Amino acid sequence: MKDIFFNLSVRSVRLNFMRSLLASIGIVIGVVAISSMGMLGTNMQLQVKDQLSSGADTIVISADAVRMGPTGSSSSSSSSATGITKTQLNKIKLAVGTTNKLVPIYSTNTQFTLASTPGRSTVYGLNPDDITKFLTISNGTNIEGINDALVGSTFATNFNLKIGNRIRIGKDTDASRPVLRIVGILAPRGMSSDNVNTDNAIIVSDDWYTNQYGGKDIYRQVNVIVKDISTIPDVESVIDAKLNTNPKTPVVRISDASSRLSGITSSLSSITTFILAIGGISLLVAATSIFNVMMMSVNERIQEIGILLSIGTEKGEVRRMFLYEAVILGILGAGIGGISSLVIGYSVVSYMIGTTKYFFLPESIMYIPMGMTIGLVVCIISGLYPAWKASNMDPIDALRSE
Amino acid sequence: MIDTPLIRFADVSKVYHLESGDFTALDHISLEIEDNEFIAIMGPSGSGKSTMMNQLGILDVPTSGELFISGRDVAKMTALERTHMRRDTIGYIFQNFYLIPLLSAYENVEYPLILKYKKRDESGKASAMLKAVGFDEAMSAHRPTQLSGGQQQRVAIARALVNDPKILLCDEPTGNLDRKTGFQIMDILCGLHSEGKTVIIVTHDPKIAEYANRTITLEDGRIAA
Ligand SMILES: Nc1ncnc2c1ncn2[C@@H]1O[C@H](COP(=O)(O)OP(=O)(O)OP(=O)(O)O)[C@@H](O)[C@H]1O
Ligand SMILES: [Mg+2]
Repeated sequence: MKDIFFNLSVRSVRLNFMRSLLASIGIVIGVVAISSMGMLGTNMQLQVKDQLSSGADTIVISADAVRMGPTGSSSSSSSSATGITKTQLNKIKLAVGTTNKLVPIYSTNTQFTLASTPGRSTVYGLNPDDITKFLTISNGTNIEGINDALVGSTFATNFNLKIGNRIRIGKDTDASRPVLRIVGILAPRGMSSDNVNTDNAIIVSDDWYTNQYGGKDIYRQVNVIVKDISTIPDVESVIDAKLNTNPKTPVVRISDASSRLSGITSSLSSITTFILAIGGISLLVAATSIFNVMMMSVNERIQEIGILLSIGTEKGEVRRMFLYEAVILGILGAGIGGISSLVIGYSVVSYMIGTTKYFFLPESIMYIPMGMTIGLVVCIISGLYPAWKASNMDPIDALRSE
Repeated sequence: MIDTPLIRFADVSKVYHLESGDFTALDHISLEIEDNEFIAIMGPSGSGKSTMMNQLGILDVPTSGELFISGRDVAKMTALERTHMRRDTIGYIFQNFYLIPLLSAYENVEYPLILKYKKRDESGKASAMLKAVGFDEAMSAHRPTQLSGGQQQRVAIARALVNDPKILLCDEPTGNLDRKTGFQIMDILCGLHSEGKTVIIVTHDPKIAEYANRTITLEDGRIAA
């Protein structure tokens, strides 16, 4: 560095190294808080987004919750049951056209016994032809006979199931306890945004389902799998217009991955904002400690400032010297903070989220340079007043001070 | 240059406004100093010698009256112009040396060059100046605290001279030195005077004042002789 004022600042920082380092610790903490929390929030969002994107092409139509209340039943024309009725299904069919696939789904919870072990899980009733429209059978075949069933991957692993095993449905006390034969195991699906979470479920044919549980033609939900994701809003509005004829009392609720996702991400981002605010507060504390150290430096060097000014140093040059000092403290703090953020952020993300596969993505890792920049800027701002004070001293008074 | 002296005090007063009332440190001073004079300012403590030097060094401006340096009215100059005049036209030598503690002896001498040319010195002027004042080159890298008083004052003189100023202002330059070292410093100043500098020195020591061509004695802020 050619600049003698920079040399002077470096020497001053070195002379008071312990003090400077301690002041920088505030910046370190602030940078770490901002960047690791920012990264945590982003990694969370990225993971949720990834998990939900498996059903991105699916619109989910279910009976509106409002209609399930006591007032809802009186206005119900076709049925008081809680589900999508046959007439509604036909209207949906008309609305979505032939290019998009329609999957009506029954579902409930059930008890079962496997060998002699009892259990409880979700049962989905599906038309066997619909199953392959959105589910993947990793092992075995699709349902053919009336007593055939598929199970999810986690379910199969947990109970150590093989093709050909049998499940007895119902409680011990039930009179009739039908037996299902497992013909296939589904590929893992994760948390899907189409509301069909098969990993821990049993899938049976719609005929078997309505036989066992009744409620024929009253579906828990109807999924529309669109051919082109960009048409989702249009398809939704057509369905809405056809079924929810009175906007004040909607009969069905229509949702899709992006509307669910925006709900989740907005609550996540408010958490992130909160944590970032904590980082901001720690930077405020850091700013005061930097300010303090800078004022100490100015006050200890009054005579030196007097010398500089009296032999013809410009005010701007004195200001620059002290701003360099603030920048050095900032770089020290931001540098240590950046490295710490990498280590701490990585640990926090891997501990809290369980995976670090999103950690080095630009939208996540950018929080480190961002945090460092904020730390540096805070330092410079804290140094402005001390630098200004130094440069505006009266040289005679300054020289006289001891 | 005959009609305009290098320095001209025209009815200059300096009044300090204190809570206990106004204090007049310089009381209607009128004085002319020509180029290449060697002047000693004497007078009892508190008579206003340093105050006068501060006016000459434009670290301060008169409360009333006019002070011209190189033909310019210092009160009419901007702060930046004064700063540049301090840097380029005036060299200071103080009783307490006032070297920059964080810089080495060499860097202290180089510093005014950096102020003026905004870059590190490559001309070798700083080393040459240190040599000219008899400073031991082996000590160039030492910090001021590692030097004796006489060595520090030599560095201070080299620093004051490095930008080739017209005027050298020395406020009790030998005040913190033993007699022998003091006379060595005075010999350097004499040499500079004979090279054409205008030297103004404040001293309590009549022996030191003997080096000067003209002695001005202050008393209560007025010129007594
Ligand atoms: N900043 C100031 N505020 C108030 N009074 C001041 C100030 N500076 C100087 N004085 C007063 O002005 C008078 C002259 O001071 P000055 O420093 O010029 O004296 P001096 O002749 O240099 O004395 P010495 O020989 O002790 O150095 C003193 O009485 C001093 O108290
Ligand atoms: Mg004095």
